Amino acid sequence: MSQPLELADPRWYQHAVFYEVLVRGFFDSNDDGTGDLRGITDKLDYLEWLGVDCLWLLPFYQSPLRDGGYDISDFFTILPEYGDLGDAVMLVEEAHRRGIRIIADLVVNHTSDAHPWFQESRQNRTNPKADWYVWNDHDHRWSEARIIFVDTEKSNWTWDPVREQYYWHRFFSHQPDLNYDNPEVQQSMFDVIKFWLDIGLDGFRLDAVPYLYERDGTNGENLKETHDYLKRLRKEVDSQFPGRVLLAEANQWPSDVVDYYGDGDECHMCFHFPVMPRMFMAVRREQRFPVTEILAQTPAIPEGCQWGMFLRNHDELTLEMVTDEERDYMYTEYAKDPRMKRNVGIARRLAPLVDNDRRIAELLHAMLFSMPGSPILYYGDEIGMGDNIYLGDRDGVRTPMQWTPDRNAGFSKADFARLYLPVLMDPVYGYPAVNVEAELRDQSSLVHWMRRMIAIRKQHPLFGTGTFEVVNVDNPSVLAYVRQEDDDAVLCVNNLSRFAQPAELPLQQFAGRVPIELLGRVPFPRVGDLPYFVTLGPYAFYWFQLVEQP
Amino acid sequence: MIEVIANFLPGYLARQRWFAGDEPEKVEVVDHEQMGERLSWLLVEADGARYQLLVTRTQEGIPEFLHGNDSALIGTADGVIYYDALVDPEAAIDLLHHLAPDEEVSRMRPMGGEQSNSSLVFDDRLVLKVFRRIHEGPNPDIEVTAALAEAGFPHVAAPVASWEHVGASLGVVQPFLCGGTDGWQLALTSLRDFYASELQDPAESGGDFAAEAERLGDVTARMHVALADALGRRPGEPEAWLALMEQQLERVASGREWEPQARQVLAQVRRLGDAAAVRVHGDYHLGQVLRADAGWFVLDFEGEPSRTLDERRQASSPAKDVAGMLRSFDYASMVAMRERPDTGRETHQQQARAWEQRNRQAFLDGYFDTRGLAELWPGDSDDVRAVLAAWELDKALYELGYERDHRPDWMEIPEAAISRLVSG
Repeated sequence: MSQPLELADPRWYQHAVFYEVLVRGFFDSNDDGTGDLRGITDKLDYLEWLGVDCLWLLPFYQSPLRDGGYDISDFFTILPEYGDLGDAVMLVEEAHRRGIRIIADLVVNHTSDAHPWFQESRQNRTNPKADWYVWNDHDHRWSEARIIFVDTEKSNWTWDPVREQYYWHRFFSHQPDLNYDNPEVQQSMFDVIKFWLDIGLDGFRLDAVPYLYERDGTNGENLKETHDYLKRLRKEVDSQFPGRVLLAEANQWPSDVVDYYGDGDECHMCFHFPVMPRMFMAVRREQRFPVTEILAQTPAIPEGCQWGMFLRNHDELTLEMVTDEERDYMYTEYAKDPRMKRNVGIARRLAPLVDNDRRIAELLHAMLFSMPGSPILYYGDEIGMGDNIYLGDRDGVRTPMQWTPDRNAGFSKADFARLYLPVLMDPVYGYPAVNVEAELRDQSSLVHWMRRMIAIRKQHPLFGTGTFEVVNVDNPSVLAYVRQEDDDAVLCVNNLSRFAQPAELPLQQFAGRVPIELLGRVPFPRVGDLPYFVTLGPYAFYWFQLVEQP
Repeated sequence: MIEVIANFLPGYLARQRWFAGDEPEKVEVVDHEQMGERLSWLLVEADGARYQLLVTRTQEGIPEFLHGNDSALIGTADGVIYYDALVDPEAAIDLLHHLAPDEEVSRMRPMGGEQSNSSLVFDDRLVLKVFRRIHEGPNPDIEVTAALAEAGFPHVAAPVASWEHVGASLGVVQPFLCGGTDGWQLALTSLRDFYASELQDPAESGGDFAAEAERLGDVTARMHVALADALGRRPGEPEAWLALMEQQLERVASGREWEPQARQVLAQVRRLGDAAAVRVHGDYHLGQVLRADAGWFVLDFEGEPSRTLDERRQASSPAKDVAGMLRSFDYASMVAMRERPDTGRETHQQQARAWEQRNRQAFLDGYFDTRGLAELWPGDSDDVRAVLAAWELDKALYELGYERDHRPDWMEIPEAAISRLVSG
């Protein structure tokens, strides 16, 4: 049986380091060219070594795979290529044994059109599941709702020749939206969630939650009914499975996203979307405002909640959440910047986005690990993996994890041609140059640096739950802030510029304390009444614990 | 005590950056007031100008904050050390509580870097600006900032409390825009990045400033509309403005070969037609705008310090501010270039022009995309260009005079601008 990790700390997610795993791309345990659940189990020792607290698995359910598994055709079955239920149970047990939790992607808004529920629903207007999806005789209802995938979809309605009606879909036309006005649908989704929590999953990343309901005269996003349903879901989970987590994917402006925390009675976590492209922009512009501006606009969140912070994930760099003129900062910046514009709408990994500059990769991670929220790493970014933009769509960042310099990057023993996607082989990012094995042997590698940073972060709970206060610095290239909780205080100073920079920090409130640099434990001169002077090398950062000394 | 201090004042004033001139022969204490136990306020007159002093004292030796801060020391008599209260956190906090009784603060740090007044930051939340030289009548900065805030213009730090004495402004308490940085520094950050690259097009450089310049243009236009709404529109006076421009031309450029062409360019100010005059910023440049988390803020509506209060409060054309900012883009590009030892390189000259052109255009795009400007500018875009050229030339002529008197080796900056402007 899996150990009851949740009894240790029901708010573990506030201090956890998350790691996003593409099941297909992590490790192939049965030599068929596709990663699988057993493959992840095989690599848990590595993840434990790295310091990961929780894995987020991309969808592993039965699916026709027309949308990377986000088109689920059976919620209770594992996609056979990935294994079976027994493999899932074993993965959970082995992870828990190492103190690692597992959450899984779950799509609640819609199913695949291959799902038996939809196949039944479309038969006629009177069958038992006739009302499980959203049907209509004409296609101009709810025209206020925007079309999200504008490149492929012309309408949110698609004609079904069998039932001779239109069905509603906010995403691809092969992903009909479930009808949450139907109590049977609501209950069925509860059943799905209970099923997976029963076998030991520690929670869910809820895909596309803002769109559950439709109402006349609205754009169908963030409706009260949607929040009400999520609150009931939370109640069910809390009462039967305390310590499990719901992480909402709501790609909206922070002031709207906070509604998904409710009063601390809805989702435990939400992704902070806008901060991610802004961190890249801050480094490109060599100034802090892209980041501080969005943090200033991020409301406080209820007790017990947490932001999910990330640099990169399996999707493209998106500006989707920017919806009106008041919020046009990124639009004007991107519109004016030919290089950034080229990156919108295509998926890139971190390393190529920063021209493979190790200093920038470290700086961005130092910020990720020290800003309010729980960091979510994307598999492969910890070793500086690259991408292959010629694979199209989002496959460019979903290439196999690079474990060794051996055949197929040590990912699979299958014939090369059988791999679900080719491993990277270019001279800079290819597996002979970038792989786990080589980096583990090299103490100065990125992955060793990551492990040290994660370990330091864990020594200071303030990184998860402490207060965050920006320190005034005249130099626009320097971003400084203090995290504080109880008696512990850490000053973080980041140089966003490619040149060395000075910073004068007004730290009077810490006068008398001694800054100790956390990577090397080197004490710096005591803070006095005058501004504290710090010199930073290009893209340098410091984490100083501010220690009271007699 | 006042008598004791008075003896020290001539020497003390002479040591202050905000005091214009050499050691005065006589300093008269015109007025004084005790503010709490340790804090004394003095209004003094020297060489025909009035200054306010805030004085405190100690008998316990030289406090730490006075080390290396000699100019704040007034004098020592009978074991009592008298010094400027604005460098003493405790005394300054007392002063703030006196001026803004509703505010609770616990820390103070001096802001530094200013000439004519002293600014203190409290808890990185409030800033107290204390005027050193005291003029009669309302302080234009407080007057305009308060009017703009009242009119709903959000890009100023609306006064929290103001400090007056018989109709004269002594100081003002405003929110401190923590984490802000002035436009000049931001522009230099962009330029340093650009010059260090091999790029010709600033759009391709990482530190591109154009989107900031565009937002700044938008804020500037909205400031002019708000100034018009809050403080009124008056008939424009292009003829009077032209007369002043020509006087300056004669002062600084008499006999230069380009003087006739300059005269023609200045005369284009007439093309303002019946565009209205409004209160303007008056000394508008990148150092007067602050980028904060909530966008651009406009600071310091005092106007050009060398002009009289009446002149500074007069309505003018918003073109004056716009031209001021355009000149500032040129200055930034040149100053950042002069930081480099390889200044003369032609690529850098081209880069400077490209950066200035791009940001100038972005600023103007942001400015003229804003609604509500119709009454303040000519309707025809050729007229707008001609009017701007006239004001820019006027500003460049002012710079030429200033640099000639103060920094002769910088004269090439306005010289180059003038030669561009007079050749169309």
